[in-house]
Amino acid sequence: MRIRLDAIRDCLEGAIPGQIATADAEGVPNLAYLSQVQYVDAGHVALSYQFFNTTRRNILANPVARVALIDPVCAAHYRLSLQYLRTEEAGPLFEKMKAKLAGIASHTGMAGVFRLLGADIYRVLDIERVPGRTLPVPAARRNLIAALRASAETLCECADLDSLLAQTLNCLEMQFDIHHAMVLLLDARAGRLYTVASRGYPVSGVGAEIGLGDGIIGVAARERTPIRIGHFAAEYSYGRAVRDSLARNGLDAGLETEIPLPGLPDSRSQLAVPIRAGHQLLGVLYVESPLDLRFGYDDEDALVALAGGLGAAIQLLQHAPPEAPGSPAPAAPPGATPAGPPLRVRHYAENHSVFLGPDYLIKGVAGAILWVLLSDFVAHGRTAFSNRELRLDHRIRLPELSDNLEARLILLARRLIERQAPIHIEKTGRGCFELRVERPLELLELPPAD
Amino acid sequence: MDAPFPLVLDAAQAAFVCGGVSISAASCRRGGLPNLARATGCRVGADRRTLNVLFASAAAAALLEDVRCSGRIAVTFSEPPTHRTVQFKGSDARILPPEPDDGALAAAYVDAFASALTQLGYSGEVIRAVLASEADELVAVSFTPSAGFSQTPGPNAGTALGAGR
Repeated sequence: MRIRLDAIRDCLEGAIPGQIATADAEGVPNLAYLSQVQYVDAGHVALSYQFFNTTRRNILANPVARVALIDPVCAAHYRLSLQYLRTEEAGPLFEKMKAKLAGIASHTGMAGVFRLLGADIYRVLDIERVPGRTLPVPAARRNLIAALRASAETLCECADLDSLLAQTLNCLEMQFDIHHAMVLLLDARAGRLYTVASRGYPVSGVGAEIGLGDGIIGVAARERTPIRIGHFAAEYSYGRAVRDSLARNGLDAGLETEIPLPGLPDSRSQLAVPIRAGHQLLGVLYVESPLDLRFGYDDEDALVALAGGLGAAIQLLQHAPPEAPGSPAPAAPPGATPAGPPLRVRHYAENHSVFLGPDYLIKGVAGAILWVLLSDFVAHGRTAFSNRELRLDHRIRLPELSDNLEARLILLARRLIERQAPIHIEKTGRGCFELRVERPLELLELPPAD
Repeated sequence: MDAPFPLVLDAAQAAFVCGGVSISAASCRRGGLPNLARATGCRVGADRRTLNVLFASAAAAALLEDVRCSGRIAVTFSEPPTHRTVQFKGSDARILPPEPDDGALAAAYVDAFASALTQLGYSGEVIRAVLASEADELVAVSFTPSAGFSQTPGPNAGTALGAGR
């Protein structure tokens, strides 16, 4: 029976380094170790090109090779006959391999030595099984297809974005046994991702931002491709990503307007999967684990499928018709003026950052929304609002396409709760919500500095 | 290019290739697809000019066929904890029946290699399964290295080991 490449992907995780045999034009053989063999599709693998060595010279002169791989669990030993096709020096596959290699390098003490110059793509001509003994394979921890189906059914039931996000994190936990996860959505205008939900961290980090291309999440978003790392990789860690991001956005340095990204300090396995709707990038689903090699190719496939359903559901909910006009207004009558010492609320028009007293709360579109709500509350005593009017409000100026207003409101409501603010936003029906203020407010608008 | 005179391994190199290191070999016939196989131990000749590399003949059948036809072989020795790697190449490789002690040598080699992997936290059982062979299927490939290279990952990878060094 022909052995299919997708059936032996566990051999490609690098737990046991593969080997490659090549030969020059005269037939002088060479044998080298491979730090990385990447599954591309059912007919292709990519090998990391890191040094201009004998293997490289041979492949350019005589583009055929044999690679030996061993299954790290059952010890099945395979030989692949390969034909070199081309080298990619940028793009999704390159970035995927570069990130994975960073983890491998750090795990094997080769950080600073391994550096990806290219992804060499090979056609798999044949796979043969090398005669040898194998070990019994323990039962799989879980059936990922069953987990995926149960999750898909759960997500179908969700009627709003808030529950969709919460159920996604629930499903990861209950169905996939993944306990550290976050969902980030794209602010296309700012070219940044903001955390809208998370699970499994001491601090939720909701509102934390990361730039496209920063860290594993930013690279997955920029390249629109899943990125998976099986070991700790300093250059893809959050600390680094956030520092780099801060260095680039030097302008923000004066104001403390960064919410720290959540993240496991001892993260050993990471997987970032783009959330898309059609060709449009909506955000990133990110999971991690303190265990090495926790996520394999099958986990990646399952989460790509899950993120596909999530993306379609987000898109669908965004375009759900608002509640029919004439439905009962969610009317708490304008309440008594709240008592207590006034809370000074500052709004910096430059980036819509909002501070409650001395404490930073939020910025960007969510900051602009809050400022409009509070302004209307102070000026008119207004507490009932609808998504529809916010979409049209010229003071907010939402991006026209995929404004993701719902996500900004979720983010804002959670930040207010987490900061224990005397201001609350509560949903009162589809497309409408109520503002509750428990202290007198003193609003201070700060125009952009020239 | 292969040096015109045989390489003499120094004592440290001889000890290294006989230790609990990963050993694999490649061969190729002119115009053909290269072949490769894992070895199950190595003996160094008394003059330290000859390497005798042991293989399980079923798992290494294609490699052995290429060696028989071309006399070419490249053998790489790599120490898992340090990544120290050397490769020796020769063009006079011959397939010989095993020496009387080669069965014991192969068993000791598998123990040493599995133990090195276990100390690194890997399963020794996997490599034992991969290298398992029947006593009657061992063969030795004997060659005099005409070139040797350091292949430890890093800037000096590919540096030729000088004759006598």
